[in-house]
Amino acid sequence: MTERVVITGLGAVSALGLGAERNFAQALAGVSGIDFLELSSNRKIEGCVAAQIKFQLPELIKRAELSLFDRFAMLGWIAASEAMQQSGLTTNVRGLENTGVFWGTGFGGAQTLENAYMDLLVEGKNRVRPLSIVASMNNAPAAQIALRCGFGGTVNTYSSACVSSAQAIGEAYRHIRHGYANRILAGGSESLLTFGIVTAWESMKVLATPDKNHPEQACQPFALNRNGLVLGEGGAAVMLESLSSAQERGATILAELAGYGSSNDATHMTNPNPAGQARAMEMAIATSGLSKSDIGYINAHGAGTPAGDLTETDSIKRVFGSGANRLMISSTKSVHGHVLGAAAALEFVLTVQALRARAVPPTAFLNEPDPMCDLDFVPLHGRSNQKMVAAMSNSFAFGGSNAALIVKDFVL
Amino acid sequence: MTTFETVAKLLAERIEVNLDLIHPDTPLETLGADSLSVMELIFDLEDEFKISLGDERPTLVTVQDIVNHIDKYIKLAAELQG
Repeated sequence: MTERVVITGLGAVSALGLGAERNFAQALAGVSGIDFLELSSNRKIEGCVAAQIKFQLPELIKRAELSLFDRFAMLGWIAASEAMQQSGLTTNVRGLENTGVFWGTGFGGAQTLENAYMDLLVEGKNRVRPLSIVASMNNAPAAQIALRCGFGGTVNTYSSACVSSAQAIGEAYRHIRHGYANRILAGGSESLLTFGIVTAWESMKVLATPDKNHPEQACQPFALNRNGLVLGEGGAAVMLESLSSAQERGATILAELAGYGSSNDATHMTNPNPAGQARAMEMAIATSGLSKSDIGYINAHGAGTPAGDLTETDSIKRVFGSGANRLMISSTKSVHGHVLGAAAALEFVLTVQALRARAVPPTAFLNEPDPMCDLDFVPLHGRSNQKMVAAMSNSFAFGGSNAALIVKDFVL
Repeated sequence: MTTFETVAKLLAERIEVNLDLIHPDTPLETLGADSLSVMELIFDLEDEFKISLGDERPTLVTVQDIVNHIDKYIKLAAELQG
């Protein structure tokens, strides 16, 4: 006997804006949040673009507690608070002993750590801020969410590069499905736009080189001239519940998390592998009990790298066969960049809204598709009034990890 | 500014309480200053007074305990300079 897992809250913050609805509206309109990177230090990385949050974040935390928060945890708390609020749950009440937090992050408290290294190694100081460890540890967002909400259940953190938050959401799904929790606030957050880490990414030669007159168009998944990914920052969250828990408290059910699949390529640290990706998608579909023809939309991993987009085109064809041609597939990374450990959660939050709105966000700036990427990648313009009952979100990572999540309409 | 005044000012800012509530004998706990806030406060006070409190881990219960701790090191620093 397994539980059905439903979604009762969404939250998001990214370069597209504050709030899940705002993020979806911007993605649907193909409005890019990408621009030239501005570092908080006085350093510069010439010509580097990023999907950076440049607006003022809401002040949800007392100033006295700010030392406990790296920016990645703050973005996590902002997204989690929104999902919590939408779910209608109240914090710190009885009955939350079996509610948990499953969170994903790739780099954790990058900014806090870099500040500490700068103090020690550049500024010549002999000490760092006392809360550097508790602010930068990878499980800081999950712990803060649990603490502030009063969630006494399982609190796990997943760090598997770009699938971190897909694993968090997927493993939460399994956890609820098999009765280990009745509710889990799942998602991910990332903020690594620091001089050291962006420079490290640059040296891998995987970042997009922008047209200096159009930095907002730097990320061009599935395009002939795509030349890399654009780093971003953000947080996204979903409140997952067992159907019985949601029904018991009369919660509004937004959709059903129907399937999750995970795999590892086990072939290369960075080169993607279509067979590995296909295994994750196949597993998600099998778990969901849906037929492949039920999937109407795929939010692709689509990071905009030459090899990655081609491999994903191949893996989708392997899974869907001739049915791949009728799928709408888009990469919203074209507008919110690659949010790494938070990417899967952000894209899943957009996918849930796409399903609910029957509207598919485009792959922005896809003026000239790569002939080798020959599926319907929803170029340039979003599509409204689309028929679909289920949608899938793909995420693939350095280290070979793959994950797919499937959301479907909730029907009792 | 006396050591107490400086401690009280930085403490009030750090934990967001009214300065009037902070007296020498006020227990830190009643102000809502937990061990983590006090650690951060000590860090700021080291900067403020340009002293280093080393590895000592004193028991700090009241605001005056912090003042005494700081004063001890101010005196030590003055002796070293002298």
